[in-house]
Amino acid sequence: MDLLKVENLSKSFGALWAVNNVSFTVGEGEIVGLIGPNGSGKSTVFQLITGLLRANRGTISYDGKDITGFKPYQISRSGIARTFQIVRPFPEMTTLKNVMVGRAFGSSSARSMKETEDEARRLLDLTGLTDKVSATAGHLGLIYRKKLELARALATKPKLLLLDEVMAGLNPTEMMETVEFLKTVRNSGVTMIVVEHVIKALFSMTDRVVVLNAGEKIAEGIPQEISRNEEVIKVYLGDYEHA
Amino acid sequence: MAERKKGFVVAAVVVIALALVPLVVAREYVFSILCMIFLYVTLSQSWNILGGYTGQINVGQAAFFGIGALAARLLWVAGVPFYLSILAGGLSSVILAIIIGLPALKLRGHYFAIGTLAVASIAQITVGNILPGISFLPAQHMATYSLIPRYYVFLIIMVTALAAVYITVNSRIGLGMEATRDDEEAAQMVGVNTFKYKMIAFLISSFFAGLAGGGFAYFNASYYWYLPFTLMWCFEPILIVFIGGVGSFIGPIIGSVCYVLLKELFALTLGEANLLIFGIVFILTILFFPKGIIGLPAKLRQLFRRRGNVVGR
Ligand SMILES: Nc1ncnc2c1ncn2[C@@H]1O[C@H](COP(=O)(O)OP(=O)(O)OP(=O)(O)O)[C@@H](O)[C@H]1O
Ligand SMILES: [Mg+2]
Repeated sequence: MDLLKVENLSKSFGALWAVNNVSFTVGEGEIVGLIGPNGSGKSTVFQLITGLLRANRGTISYDGKDITGFKPYQISRSGIARTFQIVRPFPEMTTLKNVMVGRAFGSSSARSMKETEDEARRLLDLTGLTDKVSATAGHLGLIYRKKLELARALATKPKLLLLDEVMAGLNPTEMMETVEFLKTVRNSGVTMIVVEHVIKALFSMTDRVVVLNAGEKIAEGIPQEISRNEEVIKVYLGDYEHA
Repeated sequence: MAERKKGFVVAAVVVIALALVPLVVAREYVFSILCMIFLYVTLSQSWNILGGYTGQINVGQAAFFGIGALAARLLWVAGVPFYLSILAGGLSSVILAIIIGLPALKLRGHYFAIGTLAVASIAQITVGNILPGISFLPAQHMATYSLIPRYYVFLIIMVTALAAVYITVNSRIGLGMEATRDDEEAAQMVGVNTFKYKMIAFLISSFFAGLAGGGFAYFNASYYWYLPFTLMWCFEPILIVFIGGVGSFIGPIIGSVCYVLLKELFALTLGEANLLIFGIVFILTILFFPKGIIGLPAKLRQLFRRRGNVVGR
């Protein structure tokens, strides 16, 4: 069954169509990669799905419901979580409190503050932030802030997780760890759309890939097909062979 | 949470000690200083839950303090029991907050700060024009005037305000408020209805500002009607919160004690120039000690560590 269905989605900034008539679906339990050159509209698609931007045209259905025009917090509560390409943890709050916010709100909230805190600590252990629990989030290094955003998103108990370049800036070992971690997250029943420029890492975990170029969808398929698709190689993969 | 338990014990001891003060101290001067400290703790903590915890800068606290004072005084002087008058003052302030908050808190950015300042300025001018004179206490109230009930009223308002703020900021609501302050969009992305939490903070804040205004109306035998609306009441809570430590629970308490004592000292020695001094202290605090007095130990530790670590890094 389709968990997410995006139909004819378009968004313009002035004269620029950042997303132009894009349609795709994401099945329950899938990991779908969303790739394309810089400025091709990937992050804008996330802004539209999460309700931070309003589409000029098109519809977004999630879990059988039309959620186009819903408020961002309502979309989150329906089970969609995301990370930001440029990380945005709550800077003045501790690492622990950041994750507690996710746990206290999101799609299902813990019953008490005690339970909220316990579950937040467990997530911090899982994401390798155990010794950073009482650090102020704004003072953490980039890698830790990225992990924190992921932990905060998972704390909302999402059904659909949108990840915007969580691997950028990681070294190969950290990337491997992240891929393995995301696979376990998927196995726990979370569906994902993953935006990533690190193609090798991405293709090692995606079931399907959607390719955007200049706001338009130019290809869709399993990773093996996409890596042989001539147009995709021409506009995008050619430049990223070494990535 | 052993630390929290210790905090409760200390708080309980302090409150009991304060409640016993009138039994052992007889000097009016001490009472009025303590009353002013209680008033400023209430006012600054009420500013802090909205500004410090939720990130909505109310530049017009005087309007909420003033309307609380005005409503309470009018009713009380007209013969309504005092405790009902002061509650009506708090509620008037809440109604004002709803009227301002519904449009202004929907928006992000500086609309709220500008809006509240505008409301406070308009309120001051309007009250000054409509009620240019002095509010005198009727003779029957004057005859029974005593500082001791005033002292207890201020103490009760302060303890209630502190308890309400403490419980709120340590609950799920507090998490929503702090997330809203730090990043509204990111907060919405984890399911926080940011408008709701801004509104809750504003309602709590305005209620206690209004009660503090009622305390003012009860405390002063005679004063110009517009006096609780003057813009000083806007700036003082902000000054106190930043000196003490913005977004911390203890900050406004420490800030108020320092502020009232220093103001007393400066007023005796410097007269009007004391405002200038506080202005300078405020700017220096924001520039060099953004976390205020509360942040000083960490700041010093950090400076010390930086020196000590040069070789090791
Ligand atoms: N808020 C905005 N206002 C104006 N233009 C925008 C805005 N957000 C994105 N754009 C433009 O829309 C286009 C698509 O941007 P988007 O961020 O979605 O690309 P992307 O595929 O995520 O790129 P990258 O790989 O660099 O992250 C770009 O040309 C960008 O400059
Ligand atoms: Mg992007």
